[in-house]
Amino acid sequence: MSAIQSAFPGAVLESRVESDRRLWITVDPKRLVEITQFLRDKKDFDHYSGAAGVDRINENLFEVVEILTSHGAHQVVVLMKVKVPRDKPSVRSLTGLYWNANWYEREIWEMFGINFEGHPELYPLLLPDELVGYWPWRKDFKGYPDTTTGERAIEQVGPDGYTEFKIMPHTELIKAGVLPERPKYPTFREREEAEIKSDSEMIMHMGPQHAIVPGPFLLDLLIEGERVKKAFLDVGYIHKGIEKIMENRTYLQGIVYTDRMCYLASITNNEAYCGAVERLLGITPPERAQYIRVILAELSRIQSHLLGTGEFLTLLGAATYSPFQYMIIDREDIVYLMESITGARITHTFVRFGGVRNDLPDGFADKARPILKRMRERTEEYMDLLHSDPIYTRRMRGIGVLSPGDARRLGVSGPPLRASDTPYDMRREDPILVYPDLDFKVVTRKAGDAEARVEVRLEEILESIHIIEQCLDQIPDGPIQEKLPKKIKPEPGEAYYRVEDPRGEMGIYVVSDGSEKPYRVKVRGPVYAYMQALPPLLEGAYVADVVAIAGSMDACTSEVDR
Amino acid sequence: MVLKSLKYTLKTALTTTEVTRLYPEVMMELPANERGIHELDATTCIGCGSCARICPNSCIEMVPYKYGNPLKNRKMQFPQIDYGRCTFCGLCVDECPVSCLKMGKKTEIAGWERKDIVYGPDRIAVKKFSEKEVAELEAEAKRQAEEKKKAAAAAAKEKAAKAKGKENKAKAKPDEGGEA
Repeated sequence: MSAIQSAFPGAVLESRVESDRRLWITVDPKRLVEITQFLRDKKDFDHYSGAAGVDRINENLFEVVEILTSHGAHQVVVLMKVKVPRDKPSVRSLTGLYWNANWYEREIWEMFGINFEGHPELYPLLLPDELVGYWPWRKDFKGYPDTTTGERAIEQVGPDGYTEFKIMPHTELIKAGVLPERPKYPTFREREEAEIKSDSEMIMHMGPQHAIVPGPFLLDLLIEGERVKKAFLDVGYIHKGIEKIMENRTYLQGIVYTDRMCYLASITNNEAYCGAVERLLGITPPERAQYIRVILAELSRIQSHLLGTGEFLTLLGAATYSPFQYMIIDREDIVYLMESITGARITHTFVRFGGVRNDLPDGFADKARPILKRMRERTEEYMDLLHSDPIYTRRMRGIGVLSPGDARRLGVSGPPLRASDTPYDMRREDPILVYPDLDFKVVTRKAGDAEARVEVRLEEILESIHIIEQCLDQIPDGPIQEKLPKKIKPEPGEAYYRVEDPRGEMGIYVVSDGSEKPYRVKVRGPVYAYMQALPPLLEGAYVADVVAIAGSMDACTSEVDR
Repeated sequence: MVLKSLKYTLKTALTTTEVTRLYPEVMMELPANERGIHELDATTCIGCGSCARICPNSCIEMVPYKYGNPLKNRKMQFPQIDYGRCTFCGLCVDECPVSCLKMGKKTEIAGWERKDIVYGPDRIAVKKFSEKEVAELEAEAKRQAEEKKKAAAAAAKEKAAKAKGKENKAKAKPDEGGEA
C-alpha cells in the first residue's frame, strides 16, 4: 500500500501495517478527500464501512477514523485517521464520495461536535434536541444536567395548576454564558413539512410504536395516493449510550454490555468485542475454544434467522399455516442447545478474552446431531412451502428490489447484500477463528427483492447446520482458555475486528490507553446500515409494500441506537 | 395450494411432540450449567469481595452475616445480591477465588416490593454453619488470634532484644497486616 505514499507525497503523516488485512494511516486533513477518491477509484475501496471519533484530550486533538474496505476486490481494510485540533474541529465530509457516510458523520457531529464541511444535513440522529451542543462523548463531558451541581429536573407549576418537570436549562443560565449555545437547525418535523409540495400529499406515521418495527423508531412516509414519495426515518428512541458506558467499565465488564446491543446476536457481538481486545493483547484462543465459538456463532445465526423470518411472515399475514409458531418451536430446540452450553437463553456473556467461559457439556454432540438433522428437514420444508405459495410469491416477488450497484452504494451488508448478487461475507472476507478450515458456501441470489432476502436467510440456516456438523466432527480436545494476567491492561494501541453477524458486518473498534478501561469503543453495526438505506428503498413503493420491504431487512433497533 | 399448506399443518399436528409447557405446575428441564439464582457456600467464603468488585452493575454488596466461617472470613462479610439489578452474567462466579459462589437452577424471583428481591446471604446460602458450630469456630478463631498475638509479641520481644530502634519498627508492621 505504498501506492498512496507515492501518489500523495507528504500527505501521509504516519502509517502502520498491522497484518496483510489491516492498514492504519494518518493523513493530512486538507487532502483527505483527494486520498479517499484515489482509494475509491484506483484501489477498489468501494465500501465505506463506517467512521469513529476519538477524543484525544491529552494531546488536545480529535481523531476521526474512516474505515474503508472493498466488496470482494481485495481483503484490505484501511483505517484512515485524520487529526484535527480540539478548538474549532472541522473535517471535510466524505458524503460526496460515499452516500452512506451521511449517518456516520452525523453521529460523530452530535457526539463530539466535529463539524463536517460540505455535509448536506448535519442534524442530530440519535440524541434528543435538548442534548445537542453538550457533545456527550467528549472526555470532558460532565453529564446532563451538570452532575457537578446535582441539578436534575426543574419543577414548574403552570397557570392551570399542573406541575411539569423540565430538563431544559433556564434561559438565565444561557444568558449568563454558563451553558454552551446550541447549534441551530430545523427540527425533524420542520424538515418533513418542508417537503410537502401540494395538497394531494400527506404524511403518514409508522411508529415509534408500530407492528412492523422490531423496536421503537419513527418512519414517516410522505405519500401521494398509494405511492410513497419520500420516507423519513428517525432513530434514537432507545439510545442507551453503550459505547460511553463501556468506557467507564473494565475490559471484562464490557462483555456484558455487548450482549445488550442486540440479544439475537449476542454471541457474535461478544465475539467482535473479545476479538478486538485479543488483538490488542496479542493473544489467540486455543483451538478448542475457537471451535466452540464457531459452533455458538452459527447456532445463534440459526435462531436469529428463524425468529427474523417467522416474525416477518406473521407481519405479512401468513396466518393459514402459522409459520411463526413453527419457527418458534424449532428455535426453542436451538435455544435449548445454546442454553446447555452457556447457561443463559439469550444474553450469553460467554466469550472471554483468549477463550470461552466453559466447555461443552458431556454428550453435546450426540444431543445436537438429531436436532440439527430435524432442523435441516424443517428448513427445507419451509423453503418448499414458501416457494409454492402463490399469495406469498405475489406479495414478495419484485418488491423492494435492490440492484447490486445500489446495494453496494447504500452500504448494506449481510443477507440483503448477498440477495443482491454480491458474495460479501465476513467469514470469507476477513476470516477469523477456524472459518478458513471449514467448508461452506456463501449463499447469494440474483433477484435482490424481498423474496430473495428471505430465501438467503433460509438457505444460510442450512449452511450453518453444515458448519456446525463439521465442527462437531473436527473439534479437538485441549484447553479452552489462554492464560491471562489477573488485571487486563492492554498496551496503548487500537484494533478493529469484524465478524459476520446474523445480519451482516459487525465491526468493533477499540482504543486502549494502557489503563484497565478501554479509552474508546465504537460499534459499527449492520442494522445501522440497513436503516440508513431504508428511505431510498421505500421511495416509489406502494404503502402496502412498506411492511414487506422494511420487514425483509430484519432490523433490530436496539443495535442501531446502542 | 392452500391444501398444501394445510397438509403441513396436519403433518406437524400429528408428528410434533408436545410443545406447550405447563409452566407453573411443571418447570421445564434446565441444563446443568444454568445461570439462575446464586448459591453461596458460606462455610468456605473468605469475604474477599471480588464478586462485588467485578459486578458490572454493582448489584453485590458485602454485608455482615453470622453463620459463616470466622476462621476464613474474619470480617464476616458475605455477598448480598440485588436481583433488581442483576443481569445473570456470571462474572462474579468466574471471579470467585474459592468457588464458593455458584449459580443454580432456581429462576423465580418475583416479589411484591423492591426490597423483596434483594437477597441477603441468608437467602442465597445453601451451606452454612449452625449457631453452635459458629460459636465453636469463633472460640477457635479467638484462640488462634491470641496465639498469634502471643507469638507476635514474643517475636517482637526477641527482635527488640536482638536489634534496637529502627529495625524493630519495620518488622512489627507486616505482622499487624497479616492479622488484619
